[in-house]
Amino acid sequence: MKKKLTYNEAFTKLEELVEQLEDGRIPLDKLADNVKQANEWVALCETKLRQIEKEIEEAADTNSKKGSTKK
Amino acid sequence: MTNPIRLSTLTQLIQDTIQSRFEGEVFRVSARIMNVKKYESSRRCYLTLEEYEQGTKTTEIRAVFWANAYSEIEKFEKVLRQPFKDGTEITCKVKVRYHKVYGLNLDVLQIDVAQALGTLELERQQTLERLVRENPEHIQLISGVYRTYNNRMELPLVISRIALITAPNSDGQRDFLQELKQNKHQYQFSVTEFLTTIQGDNAHQLILEQLQLIEQRKEDFDLVAIVRGGGSLGDFKPFDDYELCAFVARFPVPVFTGIGHDRNQSIVDLMAREQKTPTKVAAMIVEHNFDFENALIDLKTRMNDAVTDQLERAKERLEQAKRIIRLSSPRDILRRGFAIITHKDKIVIDPSVIHEGMELQTQLKNETIFSTVTKKAKNEKEADL
Repeated sequence: MKKKLTYNEAFTKLEELVEQLEDGRIPLDKLADNVKQANEWVALCETKLRQIEKEIEEAADTNSKKGSTKK
Repeated sequence: MTNPIRLSTLTQLIQDTIQSRFEGEVFRVSARIMNVKKYESSRRCYLTLEEYEQGTKTTEIRAVFWANAYSEIEKFEKVLRQPFKDGTEITCKVKVRYHKVYGLNLDVLQIDVAQALGTLELERQQTLERLVRENPEHIQLISGVYRTYNNRMELPLVISRIALITAPNSDGQRDFLQELKQNKHQYQFSVTEFLTTIQGDNAHQLILEQLQLIEQRKEDFDLVAIVRGGGSLGDFKPFDDYELCAFVARFPVPVFTGIGHDRNQSIVDLMAREQKTPTKVAAMIVEHNFDFENALIDLKTRMNDAVTDQLERAKERLEQAKRIIRLSSPRDILRRGFAIITHKDKIVIDPSVIHEGMELQTQLKNETIFSTVTKKAKNEKEADL
């Protein structure tokens, strides 16, 4: 099973891919797949900014007695 | 045995003696203030001035700020950002006064605020020097800047999980949350509040306890914000406490402070990352995420440009190949006026195989000419077409 990337890893991979694209190191027949993958990484990073991840909400539910979570 | 004199006669004598010795004279004294009782409505403050030697009280005298000197207390609190309270060392100008009913008192006329500031600064310097001396791995003073483990930590690309240390129902809490919630980019944040008193004698201990709670769940947070409402006249002494400052300096999650004082920097500010006010801390977090989004937009643009360029280049190469192929086709060659010579349906490339009397076909664009070779001669020089 494919391991789910963190947004951090996705951003790093995106940077690497863009450099490879700019250097013309991606063969034409792989271009479509790479762009599709890159768009998935972009979406993952954008999600991080505007949508609190599920696990954060779960963590908030099991907050310490003193802490309370606001959204 | 002489007859007793009236008490009032004696107190009058004391009053006269004191008056003749101290009348009009002002003294500048340093002492510790104790038993401070402020009456803001009548603008009076009663207290005792005390002196200690090796922890033992050696002197005590009552003192009072009358209404005309009460503003001195307000000035002290405003400038030093600390309350005028028991245990504070002050230097002040006093007059000696004796009252037959109320006894001996010192009327305080003025507090030497500059002297108090100097004392405070000295204490601050001593704490800073101790922090550097006793925590060399986590705190260094380089070119006048305090570099700590905490304020050198790399921030995550996106800050979304925030531990907030603040006072309940305070201006700082409200300002911070409001600024985050109303961010124009609609970024979402998860804020976990660690509420405590952040002013007063035990505040440093209470803040430290909240940090310890956060440390136990350090993986849950991207950042810790310690905020306090702006404009507060309360003291910031808790934020100069050695233990608290040392703990912040080596804290494993980046700490940002917005403890609301423009004039002075607390030591905690120096150990962490200072943003002055709660609103500024929240705005910095939003700005940090905006920087990430900009970087993402830049990558997307570069990716699209690179893909477009690559496809354009591939198209151009394809067009060029097609052009070359087209130009190389026999049909195109004939169209341009060249001819193909064949012998028995085979193209003749090498003229040496042609002899006189051979039958050849010359294929032009629209017609084929059948001919017999009658003469053959070498060109004087290579055909230059």
